[in-house]
Amino acid sequence: MQTINFWHLLSGGDGVKMQAMIANANNANPGFKVHPTVLAWGPPYYTKLAMASAGGRPPEVAIMHASRVPGYAPGGLIEPWDLGLLAEYGITPENFAPRIWEKSQQNGKVFSLALDSHPFIMFYNTDIAGKAGLLESNGLLQEVNSPDAFKAMALEMQKVTKAHGLSLGYLNLGAQMWRLFYTLYKQHGAEIVLTPGQPMQADRDAAIESLEFMASLFDDTIAAKGNDINTGIAEFVRGDSGMLFSGGWELPTMKKAKLPVDAATIPTLFGTPASYADSHSFVLPRQLAVDEEKRKDAYKFVSDILKGSLSWAEAGHIPAYQPVVQSQAYRDLTPQVHYANAADIIAYDPEAWFSGSGSDWQNYFAEYIQNVLLGRSKAKDGWDGFVARTNDLLSRPNPV
Amino acid sequence: MSSSTVSRQTSQVRTKPTPGIKAGPSLRRSRDNVSGWTFAAPFLVFFLVFLVWPILYGFYMSLTGKSLTGANDALIGFSNYSEAFADAGMWRSLGNTLYFTVISTVPLVLVALVMAALLNIGLPAQWLWRLSYFAPFLLASTVVSLFFVWMYNPQLGLINDFLSKFGIPKIGWLNDPNVAMWSIVIATLWWTVGFNFLLYLAAMQNIPAQHYEAASLDGAGAWRQFFSITLPQLTPTTVMIVLLQILASLKVFDQIYQMTSGGPGGSTRPVVQYIFETGFTGYRLGYSAAISYIFFGLIVLVSALQFVITRRRSA
Repeated sequence: MQTINFWHLLSGGDGVKMQAMIANANNANPGFKVHPTVLAWGPPYYTKLAMASAGGRPPEVAIMHASRVPGYAPGGLIEPWDLGLLAEYGITPENFAPRIWEKSQQNGKVFSLALDSHPFIMFYNTDIAGKAGLLESNGLLQEVNSPDAFKAMALEMQKVTKAHGLSLGYLNLGAQMWRLFYTLYKQHGAEIVLTPGQPMQADRDAAIESLEFMASLFDDTIAAKGNDINTGIAEFVRGDSGMLFSGGWELPTMKKAKLPVDAATIPTLFGTPASYADSHSFVLPRQLAVDEEKRKDAYKFVSDILKGSLSWAEAGHIPAYQPVVQSQAYRDLTPQVHYANAADIIAYDPEAWFSGSGSDWQNYFAEYIQNVLLGRSKAKDGWDGFVARTNDLLSRPNPV
Repeated sequence: MSSSTVSRQTSQVRTKPTPGIKAGPSLRRSRDNVSGWTFAAPFLVFFLVFLVWPILYGFYMSLTGKSLTGANDALIGFSNYSEAFADAGMWRSLGNTLYFTVISTVPLVLVALVMAALLNIGLPAQWLWRLSYFAPFLLASTVVSLFFVWMYNPQLGLINDFLSKFGIPKIGWLNDPNVAMWSIVIATLWWTVGFNFLLYLAAMQNIPAQHYEAASLDGAGAWRQFFSITLPQLTPTTVMIVLLQILASLKVFDQIYQMTSGGPGGSTRPVVQYIFETGFTGYRLGYSAAISYIFFGLIVLVSALQFVITRRRSA
């Protein structure tokens, strides 16, 4: 029996779900046994995966954020998937939503197979929203489409909670600031283009407008001035706020707390629907010597996981495999199905060797933007500082 | 008990530099001492494999464009160094390291001295004091960081909760760029002051009691005795503690990485973390090797200073 090594970075509720999916795949396939190794999210995981691949003896299969693939594929740290072989196991391009399939490719080759997309969304407490008179007759939150309308809605909820209307913890966590910023920025219909050797191309006015709006939320009435991610979530779970901006992956926390919660994509406040997201994707790290049998087993394992990703949806992620999304079982999952439209409007990070989930670039964003959100510096100064920092990175030699 | 053994040992050390024994080491050096090398061999192997070779290889790497992804590892001369000297990020993190070194070394030496002096007055239950001052030093940095991250938490933390009883507004201990480094220094002080304290205490208990007897016969009070006997007698210890502390503080990484990971806004990022980020999360091994050699130069400078000062003292 073959042992297939599989590295991933999923912990907490995600880790438990993944472990169960691996066990299912192992039970269904007597020919191999998948042995998972779990490493800490972010830099610890990506440094180890890169070093293992550079050394040529990495795991047979691993999970990466789709946004980190541009830092791995060009240097040859991961190998493309063989579409013919995938088709043998019943996985074809038509199984994926167009945006997700497009993201899985680099230079025309498929380097990453998405398990999910996990967007940054809005949870809301239906009790509080109901008391504030903000629910439609179908039980969903009223739609708002301008910054002022959103703030008015948050203030209505604040009147009910007597604490805050909205929760968003961001202190010392660049990822949180970036997720909301990039959602709002993309709602302007704007792009960020990162080309090594050239200055960053971005829409400065859209960026500043997004940042000023974010800063205006943290006024200690709409939202607390300074929360970290955990105190932000705790505030919402306690019922001290009506809404929470958060990754969909926090859904199990809400369910466990038996909170009357529903969810939606973040309201379109600047014209164009957009939702920051990333995808957990399967990659094949480069092997010094490929064992064809093990590789086939890895394909089989990944196809089994994709087909069984309904249980992954229970953790709050949107499955990438369309037959699951279109199944009645998924349609019965609430509130997941209320934000499933995010898959059509997802905005992945701008591509560069240094961008993506858990990258240092997100920390650099925090270095300039945290003070804007805390009201210590102006949005334009924060943005210009971040642009200068990014341009400095772009001017350096590209290591991949 | 322990203090008397220590003083006996030092008095032996003091009688050592007689001409007869001084010739010994040079004689031994000149002989081809096979058994000596054999005994040293295990150490030498480790020294060569884990210190000398990495140092040489690291320097070679700093002259290449080596990347973690294996791309372009050609020799590129000193251009990594010229890039580093123009890198604001390196200077800023180097500045943070120096700032930490200055604001941590001073309290770590002074507080240790005061603690040792207080204990040396002759408080009861000496072992209890010694144990409680030294115990934090035995904790892992992860444990210490966790303690303090919780106590410093702006909303739920013990410290802000205590201060709020006196009407003091919430302080963002680890979230305010002007405060964060000081918060880390406070945690570090609690954690490591015990080591310096122990060195000071041992040195104080070595000062011969006759000095104090003579001084009190001449009418010197406790303060006068402290400043005119204790402090001058401690000078070699102080020099040693200061230099050891500077070297330890320059290497700061663990507790900062765990408590703020260099934030907020990069205000606490030490140069060691910058090297780690450049090389491992930023893939640029060659460039990060160059930065680490610039930092290495700084440490060599401090060590050389230490060597010169201690040699002048012992001469």
